[in-house]
Amino acid sequence: MQMTMADRLMAGVLGALGLAMAVGGFRMDRLEFRQIHPASIPGLVPMILGGLMVICAVLLWREASRGADRDPVLADGSWLRLGLTAGTCLVYALILVGWLPFLWSTGIFVFAFAAIFGWPENGDRGARVKAVVGAAILAACTAFGTSILFSEVFLVRLP
Amino acid sequence: MNAIASLGSELLSLLTPTMIFHAAWSTLLGIVIGSLPGLTATMGVALMTTLTYSLDSTTAILVLLCMYVGAIYGGSRSAILLNIPGTPASAATSLDGYPLAQQGRAGYAMGLATAGSMVGTLVGIVLLVMIAPPLAEAALNFGSFEFFWLAVFGVVISGQLTADTTPVKGYIAGILGLMVAMVGSEGIHAHIRFNMGFSDLNGGIGLIPAMVGAFGFAEVLNAMWGRAGVLATAKDKSDRIIPKLADLWRYKVTSIRSGIIGTLVGIVPGVGEDIGAWASYVAARRTSKEADRYGKGSYEGLTAAETGNSAVVPGSLIPAITLAVPGSASSAVLIAALFIHGIRPGPLIMIEQPQFISSVAAMLILATLFMGFYGLTLTRAFVQVLRVPYAHLMPVVFVLCVIGTYALSQRIFDIWVMVGFGLVGFLLRQMKYPMAPLVLGIILGDLLDKSLRRGLTLSDGDLTPFFTRPVSAAFVLLIAVSILANIGFVRRRISQLLARRNRRDA
Repeated sequence: MQMTMADRLMAGVLGALGLAMAVGGFRMDRLEFRQIHPASIPGLVPMILGGLMVICAVLLWREASRGADRDPVLADGSWLRLGLTAGTCLVYALILVGWLPFLWSTGIFVFAFAAIFGWPENGDRGARVKAVVGAAILAACTAFGTSILFSEVFLVRLP
Repeated sequence: MNAIASLGSELLSLLTPTMIFHAAWSTLLGIVIGSLPGLTATMGVALMTTLTYSLDSTTAILVLLCMYVGAIYGGSRSAILLNIPGTPASAATSLDGYPLAQQGRAGYAMGLATAGSMVGTLVGIVLLVMIAPPLAEAALNFGSFEFFWLAVFGVVISGQLTADTTPVKGYIAGILGLMVAMVGSEGIHAHIRFNMGFSDLNGGIGLIPAMVGAFGFAEVLNAMWGRAGVLATAKDKSDRIIPKLADLWRYKVTSIRSGIIGTLVGIVPGVGEDIGAWASYVAARRTSKEADRYGKGSYEGLTAAETGNSAVVPGSLIPAITLAVPGSASSAVLIAALFIHGIRPGPLIMIEQPQFISSVAAMLILATLFMGFYGLTLTRAFVQVLRVPYAHLMPVVFVLCVIGTYALSQRIFDIWVMVGFGLVGFLLRQMKYPMAPLVLGIILGDLLDKSLRRGLTLSDGDLTPFFTRPVSAAFVLLIAVSILANIGFVRRRISQLLARRNRRDA
């Protein structure tokens, strides 16, 4: 996708967000029962910000229509690596942490991440064993290290 | 004289085994983080903030400052050895540093970069001690009207100067940050705004989870997206490391000028170390007698770039401490850390903690000394650090993002916020939206909101004082000029007028 197209899409999203913010600010409680000054209503700044965002969205759309920046977006990297990274990180942060004890969730995540990305595709059996052992050692060190650091030194109750 | 005496006494008070130990490890860790491409100084300071909760405030601030100084300096290692700047601040360093490494003078280039960084930081410290106290005293006269414009100025300038392509994207990032700051209980009537029915949002979106996500998780995604996962190809090309005194003396004017430029760039909110390095580099090339050597391995160019980016560190602390308006993304994180450790940066700092500026300057001197020591002694060890593959580095970074975010208030919700900001931050960065204004917006949102509404209440709804009070009027003028100067037809019209005047004069 070209930047011009991405900017147009973004302008639409931001325009809607700005509009929602402005409407949200306008409909917000005016706190009349507390007899506060009308100039200090909680919705004032959100309304202004919403308006400003709509203006910026229009400016972005205009610039995109002129085709000022035709660079490709999300084109110079690997979708596979990004997907694997996001997937492993999200599974760890949103599912494993809080479900399993922190030590185990961290150990599993670090091992999986290091093994997946350190896997020697064209390597021999020895290189693969080395990669897996390396991932396991890193996982154990990270899991124990962070657990001890946060629970014993910083006195944090781990998830 | 008082300032020097105060600085001396603060420096002496830091010379305890505990403080020296903390300064030693945090500066070293900062250099390691800075030297690893994919990890930035901002991310280092953000992650370290979560690791300093249990330390007392003085030690915690020392650790964070040492991390900041070390990380900005550390970027020069990979810039010189690999032609990959460890942090964006070192991009200018690679222009001359890498050609020097290719010529077999990597060690000498690193030594010269170390000397330049030390000079830059020291020049910045001198200016910090000179400028910060009077600025804080002047800011004591600020009222709601001035604070409102100060917040607007911070976001506008930051958005304008950090945007890659168009300033509109910088403004959008700033407004997004301000919008994030609107979520949760507002500061005047404690009315809950935009919580969407989630009670977790009643307290607002935490600055630390948002920052760790935008700078930590987003950088993990960015690093894994963009590179093959194995970085290290660095060869040990070290030669003589200690710079010759003759070389240092020859570039004394360049060093001092770059130090001053870097510090002044640092004072401007949101500009950052990379602009400091480029501004110093360009100024040095313009006045250089050996301009043709720039980009091909010029000692002068390398010195200018490194002095410039290191001087931004103390420079960015000037508005951060005195006005609570950060000069760079890293100092934005530092402000959050100061609040967490019970220090309120802002005009009242000179009343509440008059020795704080001297204390910060003393900490920076300690960090500079360790930076110089490591820079001249551990060159070969840093080459080994650059061989750590991303497959082993990034999961550890992400674990620190998760547990560091969780540790502050021990809420799983904060981890979700971190992840959300990481994903959005990655997408925004790919679309060339700068992250610094977003963070500044989150920090300054509360100040802007409260100042505008308080000001309007004081003036009974009258907008006039926002434009007629002298400092407010100056801010309005600055903001208007900086926005208008970025509008195409205004710029064209001004250049037409100037051209017409020049023709008439001729």
